[in-house]
Amino acid sequence: MSNNALIQTIDLHKTYKTEAIETPALNGVDFTLHEREFTAVAGPSGSGKSTLLHLLGGLDRPTSGEIFLNGAAMSSLSKDQLSRLRLTRIGFVFQAYNLIPVLTVLENTAFVMELQGVVRRERIRRARAILTELGIEQYADQFPNRISGGEQQRVAVARAVVTEPSIVLADEPTANLDSKTSHELIGLMRRLNEDKGATFLFATHDRRLHDQVSRLLTLEDGRITQDQCR
Amino acid sequence: MKAAIRHLKRNRGRTILTLLAVLIPVYFLVFMFGFSNSIVSDMFETATRIDTGHFQVRHIERRGMGSAIPLMQDSESVLAALDEIDGVEWRTVRLDMPALASAADRSQTIYIQGVVPEEIAPISSIGDLVVEGTYLRNGQNGAVIGEELADLLNVGVGDEMALLCAHPETGLGVLKVPVVGIYQAPISAMGRTIIHTTLTTARQLARSPAATAVVVRVDDVEGPWDVGKIEAVTAQLTGSLPDELEVLDWRELAPQVSGYMRILQPAMIIFAAVFFGLGALVVLNTLYLSVMERTRELGLIISLGASRWRVIRMILTEAGLIAVIGAVYGALIGVALVWIVEAFGGIPLPGADLADYMKVVGMSPVLHMMISWPQVVVSAVTMVGVAILAAWFPAYRASKLEPVEAMRYVE
Ligand SMILES: Nc1ncnc2c1ncn2[C@@H]1O[C@H](COP(=O)(O)OP(=O)(O)OP(=O)(O)O)[C@@H](O)[C@H]1O
Ligand SMILES: [Mg+2]
Repeated sequence: MSNNALIQTIDLHKTYKTEAIETPALNGVDFTLHEREFTAVAGPSGSGKSTLLHLLGGLDRPTSGEIFLNGAAMSSLSKDQLSRLRLTRIGFVFQAYNLIPVLTVLENTAFVMELQGVVRRERIRRARAILTELGIEQYADQFPNRISGGEQQRVAVARAVVTEPSIVLADEPTANLDSKTSHELIGLMRRLNEDKGATFLFATHDRRLHDQVSRLLTLEDGRITQDQCR
Repeated sequence: MKAAIRHLKRNRGRTILTLLAVLIPVYFLVFMFGFSNSIVSDMFETATRIDTGHFQVRHIERRGMGSAIPLMQDSESVLAALDEIDGVEWRTVRLDMPALASAADRSQTIYIQGVVPEEIAPISSIGDLVVEGTYLRNGQNGAVIGEELADLLNVGVGDEMALLCAHPETGLGVLKVPVVGIYQAPISAMGRTIIHTTLTTARQLARSPAATAVVVRVDDVEGPWDVGKIEAVTAQLTGSLPDELEVLDWRELAPQVSGYMRILQPAMIIFAAVFFGLGALVVLNTLYLSVMERTRELGLIISLGASRWRVIRMILTEAGLIAVIGAVYGALIGVALVWIVEAFGGIPLPGADLADYMKVVGMSPVLHMMISWPQVVVSAVTMVGVAILAAWFPAYRASKLEPVEAMRYVE
């Protein structure tokens, strides 16, 4: 494990307010993530895993507390700057509906690069390369609805890592997959972590996947109750 | 762009609806403008060919349009000046005066145009409209009158009429002239009042060697909107005119035509605005629906870091694409329909009554259509602009989506 702090959170709180009801989702989360780590966030449903990932990814803002990304405070960023940060520094894999239905697998893989303004030739080349690396180049010209859920998630991983972000955040990427496919997907992420040094943080409540990680954070009622390195 | 096309293909029904929302207003306007152009230019042609010309040179003190006193002494030098100027299609001297025409026990107030037949005939003025007898020849003592006047006075070709002209300075002028021809007027009021005699006859009646006006037509004037060419000629002339003469263009000489245009224009603009507005509403609505349906996808795109402007551009591209296709097809269909109508010789108006009414205002009983390309282009471009403007609202809403909420959105 390297000692470079990639993400540091300080007393992170998030409370959702809907009309009269206040739902506390995070109640003081402090932890540090390092580069090249391969970390899972475990915890029961409603423990705040998604909330935490959203805050780290700049998709939402904490009620209080601070997140530092490479030493820079995220609370000081404007909405547009957060958007820019997501584009350039964060890779996302969501639970489902990761892909844009009207784009082919190849175009989906290249989509973030397109937003970044990478020239067409270059982004096609890089997208093809990553698809080949992940063993799904044969689907390059297919539309997402023509391939299986596991394959769709692989494409999402390909899209997340192809831009070489500081960190890939994956919120229950295996939730809709059977256990064999889940295992393969996490294995794939692990391989990218080891070969390319990509940093991953993913949420899951599937205990069987916990063996594959290098670090396991357990979240309960909006607090980190366990932090295990293996 | 490619994605925009695929989005449009994905929901064909809605795309077609949007397409129609753009297409129909453009097509309809081109078609409607086709009618109104033709009506206006019919009126314009009638007025400028038979009565006013594109412009006239007159004496400043013309003492009202109905004055019986010809004041233009030296029309020859005006004619000479006009012959030096480019763009003059045709010019002639005329002596206009109000008079009384009577035959047997009937009489009617009329308006005499004293003309030079050999000059006026080639531009197919009243000469072309003669249905009985012949048009005037140079120096001939005679009159060409409208069918309506022939009926009122109960005269035919060969019959004599008495023309009376009350001259405020020289007293009463009386002249007997034979009817040599009868013309079919495009406007019934014209057929009742305007008669042609030779300039010589008119001068005899007025007992004056002067004239009322030099009437001029300009080359290649396409319609009443084509004022530039006329102004180019009048601009060349005004410098060389003596002080007592002035130039009046058809807008001053035929106020009924320009008045009609002034009514028609705002009417068409309101009409166009309503159509564009309806088109815009449909575009706004369908696009808004489409944005709602794609909430999750838009949420994903925003999550991945697409800027707000990028999202707006995405939606506007779709709208723009549809609008351009719709407007082009709308324009093409409109133009094609106009051509088809014209290929079949226009639309004859049903019923003699309506045709008679049309004649009163100077329109032909067969409705013709006419394309004005600038109008077609302006209609199409405006529709595209309006559609894109209407797309701003849904586009803006799309760009304002909160990524986390949008991605949780279930249809
Ligand atoms: N947008 C929201 N508005 C209101 N409450 C919310 C919102 N999002 C999450 N919550 C609440 O915050 C708490 C934490 O939710 P979160 O989704 O982070 O949990 P999770 O660990 O991801 O659960 P799961 O395993 O079911 O995905 C829950 O009680 C949830 O109901
Ligand atoms: Mg969750």
